[in-house]
Amino acid sequence: MLNTSYRLFVLLGTVLAVAIVLSLALGPVSISLQNLVMVLLRAVGFDVASTPALEQAQLIVSQIRLPRALLGLAVGAVLALSGVAMQGLFRNPLADPGLIGVSSGAALGAAVAIVGGAMLGGISEAWSPYILSICAFAGGLGVTALVYRLGRRDGQTHVATMLLAGIALAALAGAAIGLFTYLADDATLRTLTFWNLGSLNGASYARLWPLLLITFAVALWLPRRAKALNALLLGESEARHLGFAVEKLKRELVFCTALGVGAAVAAAGMIGFIGLVVPHVLRLAVGPDHRVLLPASALAGASLLLFADLAARLLLAPAELPIGIVTALIGAPFFLYLLLKSRF
Amino acid sequence: MLWIGRFAVVKQIKIFAVVLAVQCCAGLAWAAQGVAETEVSVAAAQRVISAGGSISEWLVAMGAQAQLVGVDTTSLHPSSLQALPSIGYQRQLAAEGVLTLQPQILFGSAEMGPPPVLAQLRAAGVQIETLPVDADLLAVSHSVRRMGQLLGRSAEAERVLQAFSQAMAQHNKQLDKVEGETPRVLLVFSAGQGNPLSAGKNTVGDWLIEQSGGENLARHQGFKALSSESMLALNPQVIIVADRHNQGLAALETMLSSSPALRHTDAVQKGRVIAIDPTLLVGGLGPRVPQQVAELIDAFYPATTVQVAQKSQ
Repeated sequence: MLNTSYRLFVLLGTVLAVAIVLSLALGPVSISLQNLVMVLLRAVGFDVASTPALEQAQLIVSQIRLPRALLGLAVGAVLALSGVAMQGLFRNPLADPGLIGVSSGAALGAAVAIVGGAMLGGISEAWSPYILSICAFAGGLGVTALVYRLGRRDGQTHVATMLLAGIALAALAGAAIGLFTYLADDATLRTLTFWNLGSLNGASYARLWPLLLITFAVALWLPRRAKALNALLLGESEARHLGFAVEKLKRELVFCTALGVGAAVAAAGMIGFIGLVVPHVLRLAVGPDHRVLLPASALAGASLLLFADLAARLLLAPAELPIGIVTALIGAPFFLYLLLKSRF
Repeated sequence: MLWIGRFAVVKQIKIFAVVLAVQCCAGLAWAAQGVAETEVSVAAAQRVISAGGSISEWLVAMGAQAQLVGVDTTSLHPSSLQALPSIGYQRQLAAEGVLTLQPQILFGSAEMGPPPVLAQLRAAGVQIETLPVDADLLAVSHSVRRMGQLLGRSAEAERVLQAFSQAMAQHNKQLDKVEGETPRVLLVFSAGQGNPLSAGKNTVGDWLIEQSGGENLARHQGFKALSSESMLALNPQVIIVADRHNQGLAALETMLSSSPALRHTDAVQKGRVIAIDPTLLVGGLGPRVPQQVAELIDAFYPATTVQVAQKSQ
């Protein structure tokens, strides 16, 4: 078992490394291999003679491609990890982070920031991305906290109640977003639409740090709960009898997901499918052991998002596709293929 | 294969974490280095991008099409612009995509963005020119002069501006002479399905109606969908329909099939429906506006125009 998983990790690690290198090497602006190597040498401290082409290459790689690759890495990893956490919590392979309201809450926060900001006479250009991120993050956490509260009764968290509360609050948030959509003018409407499709475009270090820290924390924390998640697969009372603190586990899972997905959505908009498909596909491939599933999902989620972003920025260059479209285009057929293959 | 065992997975997690951490540090060190020198020559720019429909039209009008190396998705007129590389929607520009075209200047409105991408472009030495595209003459003259100055075409810019303001002044004079009641007008964007959007306050459509001597019945801000019933209640005497796919009678048919109630308005009953090119209505006032105003005046005051024409003969 662990022998196969060792090979799996080597494979996934290699794929991710390739994805990162390609993300730095490829883009609409073609950078010669020589200049790329020079830029990398310079980054690790070598003294390289400066040429205009090299300066241009360095600017593009360090200011545009690297933050973008890091953003893709973090968003993909944290979405996939949250997907595993949710599928474990609800003991259902169809669960995705949207179920506990974090996505709809973040979308509502974004709608408030985009439309409300425009109605108040426009937020200053320099601040609007930050305010948008903060509102989306706060919206995601707020709605999730509410869903969690609604699911609690007599000191117990009822997962089924939480699921239904999540659906109800998602509908409510949907109605509120609809109202904002109606109030929005044409230009604001398009901003909102594009935000809902997600993009890694315009990644900058200033907005990257919070997400990287949160991803790092979630990627370290969730695997520590892998055994508890495995026990939870047997059922809540079984896990409790095996000696796991189930209530605490549920709280942690919801908190990690809200934090991770909230930060990812705040930084890159709504990117669908990673949280649902990546854990599911890996479970079909390697089985349900969370000790393997969690880190494997993080690696695969990051790789998938980086490859999707490569397609998004190369296919229509010099324009760009929203990445949500690409992840769905790659993810959905592959998912269907696996479903059909496992049935026959 | 050395450390096969129950700790292998844990180790992998740690390795993954370390990889992440190294990536972060590399990013920080690199970000500090990467700020490059930015300077744009004062000489006339030979490679520019326009991210705005009316801005592109002005550039073409002052003979600068050869200097244009890319346009956004709203630059649809003249159709020769559509052969140029597209940089996508003006609010969703991609830094690297724009850089592949090696522009010296990127022209656009305040809607151009997102801001982090504009910052990256500035860092790469592209001059970002944000021009006002409000529907008023002051904004037009400011924008056109600025474009002319940066492209080394100040004389041409003055010439197209003068043609524009002369034509508009002449239309104003003509409007002073016309008699008859001010027509009540509604401008609708017909998309072929659902309720058409109507142009309210602070739109180019509203400005066109006002300059042509009509009264815009839509009093909301921007574009909003009006229900068939409320359009019927407003009972416009003239309907201007902007349709992306159809012109003339076909546009009227499309509009009526999506909102049949409009058949009972005065405008449709008396055949006073005018189709205009929707590309005129996005991104501010372009050089084609005076011609459109002339056509609208003719349509708003048919009898008077005939009289004026007869007198002048």
